[in-house]
Amino acid sequence: MTESISTMAQLKISARNVEVHYGDTIAIKDVSVDIPANSVTAFIGPSGCGKSTFLRCLNRMNDTINICRVTGDILIDGQDIYDHNVDPVQLRAMVGMVFQKPNPFPKSIYDNVAYGPKIHGLARNKADLGDIVEDALRKAALWNEVKDRLGSPGTGLSGGQQQRLCIARAIATSPEVLLMDEPCSALDPIATAQIEELIDTLRQNYCVVIVTHSMHQAARISQKTAFFHLGNLVEYGDTDQIFTTPHDTRTESYITGRIG
Amino acid sequence: MTTTANSLLVRDDRTKRRNAAELRFRAYGLGAIGIAALALVLLLSSVLSSGVGAFSQTFITLETSLPEAKLNKSGLRDPAVMAKVSTFGYAPLLRDALLTRIAELGITTSLSDKNVDAMISKEAAASLRDHVLANPDLIGGKVTMDVLADGRIDGYFKGRVTMESAARDGNTSPEALRVAQRLADAGVIETRFNWRFLTAPDASDQRPEAAGLGVAILGSLYMMLVVLVLALPIGVAASIYLEEFAPRNRLSDLIEVNISNLAAVPSIVFGILGLAIFINFSGLRQSSPLVGGLVLTLMTLPTIIISTRAALKSVPPSIRDAALAVGASKMQSVFHHVLPLAAPGILTGTIIGLAQALGETAPLLLIGMVAFVREYPAAYSHEAGLFGEAATALPVQVFNWTQRADPGFAERASGAIIVLLVFLAVMNTVAILLRRHFERRW
Ligand SMILES: Nc1ncnc2c1ncn2[C@@H]1O[C@H](COP(=O)(O)OP(=O)(O)OP(=O)(O)O)[C@@H](O)[C@H]1O
Ligand SMILES: [Mg+2]
Repeated sequence: MTESISTMAQLKISARNVEVHYGDTIAIKDVSVDIPANSVTAFIGPSGCGKSTFLRCLNRMNDTINICRVTGDILIDGQDIYDHNVDPVQLRAMVGMVFQKPNPFPKSIYDNVAYGPKIHGLARNKADLGDIVEDALRKAALWNEVKDRLGSPGTGLSGGQQQRLCIARAIATSPEVLLMDEPCSALDPIATAQIEELIDTLRQNYCVVIVTHSMHQAARISQKTAFFHLGNLVEYGDTDQIFTTPHDTRTESYITGRIG
Repeated sequence: MTTTANSLLVRDDRTKRRNAAELRFRAYGLGAIGIAALALVLLLSSVLSSGVGAFSQTFITLETSLPEAKLNKSGLRDPAVMAKVSTFGYAPLLRDALLTRIAELGITTSLSDKNVDAMISKEAAASLRDHVLANPDLIGGKVTMDVLADGRIDGYFKGRVTMESAARDGNTSPEALRVAQRLADAGVIETRFNWRFLTAPDASDQRPEAAGLGVAILGSLYMMLVVLVLALPIGVAASIYLEEFAPRNRLSDLIEVNISNLAAVPSIVFGILGLAIFINFSGLRQSSPLVGGLVLTLMTLPTIIISTRAALKSVPPSIRDAALAVGASKMQSVFHHVLPLAAPGILTGTIIGLAQALGETAPLLLIGMVAFVREYPAAYSHEAGLFGEAATALPVQVFNWTQRADPGFAERASGAIIVLLVFLAVMNTVAILLRRHFERRW
């Protein structure tokens, strides 16, 4: 089943037999998954099942946790990102991430977005940088709200605006993959709708992986869905199929609200 | 609603008890603050009342004739030859000037020449001599100078010496005080603000009126400079490494524990260490501000490291994650995002450490900073190298003065404490202002 899909779209991320340990406890057990480019893939599953852990493997943010150990292979564009020669800093410029809790820098809105392009030398001059910032803020559907106060602190925005600012910050470095960990969990329905719309447009240029607790959201915005349970990848497939004809009873119970 | 037991308008017993407990606790808190405030007021008032005197000084305005015959026998005006006339040659000139003044004002007195001598500070002859040697043209004429009055006379005008105490004192007499009072009425003797207290070096046991804090203040400033230049970068670099880069293992735990222990080590131990390492082993000069500064650096480092680490810890990890996730390196995330947020805490910690070092006495005694420095050390000139010469420091000067017999020095010691407290207050204010400046409210 997985094969038939990956031939349809271009393959972006491919994980093989990934296991993650926190010290002695195992958080992810033998997960293999193929994520296509230019699509939205949703990770769903009950709390504590390892969605965030697996997501953080994809840009090696787990490296910052001392006790965390990752085994198996994760290939992005066919390159093993856990190879000795891969510098995680370089990898993260290519794989952007938006966190569950908005975490803008305590700097101006402009500086928040400009920081990534600046350290990666993406802009040749000031005007160029301004264009990048504007473009990122437009894509994140935030430009109209903040264009008159780019100098004011990013932390002074509302929660939804902050989350969109974080999205703008992540896309300003033009990553190829965008990882989003429950980006809408703190947002009202209007902001959620805005972000969902944004994710849908981002799909054209990026490979988006999103963790969500909302079945509706997964169903609305994703093309592929992966269901995690107790560290296992229980089922992975087209979103339509997962939500209409799940193969596994655990998936069925979860999406119908009986476990989780 | 009808039963009183459930009414919100009536407080039940539990609520009453809780409210009473809260009230009691507030009273205890207020009491504690009251005691602390009282202690502060007592301390300040006692220091102020005994120390303000040091900031004013009694001067005698004298018109002294400078006879060529006594000061320049050779007639050559050769400085080397003139310098042969010691202060003992100048003292009688001042006495004569004072006697003349007393006679002019029509004051009759039974004071002997020696008694009149005793009204003028022994320092006066020395400063007159310096003045004349610097301006040899004055010889043969007259010079009008404000010279220091003796410590007892000074004490009389500040209320420290009374007629009764003078009667029992071998160095002065009620008659001398009476004359001094008449001179003061005539405007010859005057008590006014004394800059010399802040600029002059220390003086010997017999002349508290001439003693000043100049050398001690400079010594303290130089030591603070050494501490700041060494302790801040070393402490901050060590903290950043330990907090952000070092792997968490046995070794780093051990280091952590030991830094906390170092902060609790009695300061005198650092003095012993300094004596062993910097003086006996490295051969740096005893009682120099450089050695003092090095010892205080050792003492301040743990304070700075602990407060810097606390400041770094208080920066939310999400900021580090945010920086790493856009592809910043660890160092970029620390220097671009974590350090600016931790800066107020680091600065406050550093200034508190400096303030601690400024008031520290014990280790400095051990490395010989009790040096009695009568003249500005050559240290404060270019040739000697700034930090190499013997010096003293404010708290050591306080200690030194409290050891001395003359009551004039007790006043000086309190005055020095006031200066020390002012320095500390200034440093703390700077710390608060810097904090405000760097603490952006977002
Ligand atoms: N830093 C950590 N140290 C130790 N264990 C961790 C750490 N982070 C996560 N875990 C463990 O790994 C497991 C998976 O956690 P993870 O955060 O990936 O869950 P999740 O699916 O994202 O849950 P949620 O939906 O609540 O965010 C949990 O059992 C958790 O206790
Ligand atoms: Mg999670």
